[in-house]
Amino acid sequence: MATQDTTRDRQPGDAQQPDRAESGDGRGRLRRAITLLIGGVLVVRGLRRRSLRGLVMALAGGVVLGRALGVSPSRSDSESATPMGAGESTEVTRSITIGEPAQDLYEAWRDPETMSKIMGHFADVQPQSEDRLQWTVQGPRGWDASWETRIVDEQPGESIVWRSPADAMVPNEGEVRFSDAPGDRGTEVTLTISFDPPGGSVGSAAARRLDLVPEAIAGKALSRFKSLVESGEIPSLDENPSARGSGDLV
Amino acid sequence: MKALTWHGKEDVRVEDVPRPSLVNPSDAIIEVTATAICGSDLHLYHDRVPSMQKGDILGHEPMGEVVEVGSDVETLEIGDRVVVPFTISCGACWFCEEELYSLCDNSNPNAELARSMMGHSPAGLYGYSHMMGGYAGSQAEYLRVPYADVGPITIESDLPDEQVLLLSDVFPTGYMAAENADIEADDTVAVWGCGAVGQFAIQSARMLGAERVIAIDRFDERLDMAREHGDAETINYEETDVYDRLMEMTGGRGPDRCIDAVGTDAHGTGVVAASDRVKQRLKLEDDRPYVLREAIKCCRKGGTLSVPGAYVGRVDNLPFGAVMNKGLTIKTGQTHVQRYLEPLLNRIEAGDVDPSFVLTHEAPLEDGPEMYRTFNDKADGCIKTILRP
Repeated sequence: MATQDTTRDRQPGDAQQPDRAESGDGRGRLRRAITLLIGGVLVVRGLRRRSLRGLVMALAGGVVLGRALGVSPSRSDSESATPMGAGESTEVTRSITIGEPAQDLYEAWRDPETMSKIMGHFADVQPQSEDRLQWTVQGPRGWDASWETRIVDEQPGESIVWRSPADAMVPNEGEVRFSDAPGDRGTEVTLTISFDPPGGSVGSAAARRLDLVPEAIAGKALSRFKSLVESGEIPSLDENPSARGSGDLV
Repeated sequence: MKALTWHGKEDVRVEDVPRPSLVNPSDAIIEVTATAICGSDLHLYHDRVPSMQKGDILGHEPMGEVVEVGSDVETLEIGDRVVVPFTISCGACWFCEEELYSLCDNSNPNAELARSMMGHSPAGLYGYSHMMGGYAGSQAEYLRVPYADVGPITIESDLPDEQVLLLSDVFPTGYMAAENADIEADDTVAVWGCGAVGQFAIQSARMLGAERVIAIDRFDERLDMAREHGDAETINYEETDVYDRLMEMTGGRGPDRCIDAVGTDAHGTGVVAASDRVKQRLKLEDDRPYVLREAIKCCRKGGTLSVPGAYVGRVDNLPFGAVMNKGLTIKTGQTHVQRYLEPLLNRIEAGDVDPSFVLTHEAPLEDGPEMYRTFNDKADGCIKTILRP
């Protein structure tokens, strides 16, 4: 599918340092070599594990590898191998092209039922009012996190921006933009989500505990949105049979 | 239900597993009446394909009877006899509308995983690893078929299973390989690998007007079949140097079109092939691109290289300088099966082709593990096996 990434890991006090300059000297090369090694080990170990954790590990390794090699569609302005570390905010932007008009996509995104379907892979989403959604994420050992978001700005057919209150358990904000794609290709949909915008270290801990990987969340949400509006359903491995039982027991 | 499951390198079993059920509104369930073992199943058997899980059901070349349909299914009815393509395609995305069905944007539930490995996700496939969709395969009594209005073709005539089953993969795959080779009148086409896909590539090259077809393999029964059914000239690569022989046969020009119907598990000869085997074992290389290298070397300047053989990851020592300087065109891809179903079924019904000539073995599903062994060892002249669940 036609997707493009720009991921930024902002670190307080380390704002607009052009990391590229470093890649020419020895330190940069060493760092790149280490990153490659880590990525490779993650991919190989992950694929060997043959479990859900293994696949997640392989996926993370692939992202790390791709970034270090500069071949993955995931480009990072910094060379940080950990998308979410202590005291950092992570913002991720992903794009996808969907073969429907912008206005239809805007309306579909605005429908709370769509949100609950496309975000279902990581959160339970319930509408509270026209502009408010309640999100609940199940963490490990029955530890749940819940927060509310409110639409703070929208341009019909063009964009929607939502935000949680600053004191939310997992402070976050998001924006989706719709713009025409060339020819008969439909609409380019660009989703930006940011967990724990600057200043919320408590939220960051919660996000880490929940294993929230913004890149995976944004990518999956866009894929699911596209599948839903284009084909009328989201591809599913529910009740998929194997010798392990019934369901997506990857 | 009974199903053939994967448990690791050269370890497949027949086990009791849950029966699939309708999940999405466009799903259908078919009771599988016949399902073949594919050469690409041997890549799984050799544990070459990443993201397999122990217990996964294999198989992607099925036909059967429709026993359940989802609420949105319009073209199928219970009792219909259908052949199911191995590519799962939504029919609604830009790629499906362009008839590039194996590149469907929507059918892979694990698209993110495929994206992390390849940059973009192709279509979901049955029984071919979690990166490629994670869908349960067809070597089982029942199969869930997503997007049932887009994939399966109903067989109205009373043609036997043996004649239509191979529409699910290998016949269209061989045909697309020949189509991708851009064959023109007076062309000589060389086909590496005379398994089922190679045999159909040879037949299809003839249908598309090739003047000569040269078949390359190391098993006499496969070369005999290529001579007998495809009117091909043959080279046994264990007896002759392929490059020298091809140059001799083509006045030094090389074949105009080259088809690699072998893929990742190629067997080569000599030091380079041995080095590939070692690198693959050490996980330094995913594929053994022996045929690919040889085809690049042999192909006529300005010619076309068509690759239906399955590759999974990285290849080493690919002479890309030769590709560039000889001005070669490379075309490849998983087969857009849905595009070929109707035209090729018409040819079978008209009696132009009878795909059953490649079938050498038939066995009940319970004997699946033994048939994988036989096929893997190329024992007993095995070229293509049908399993009956």
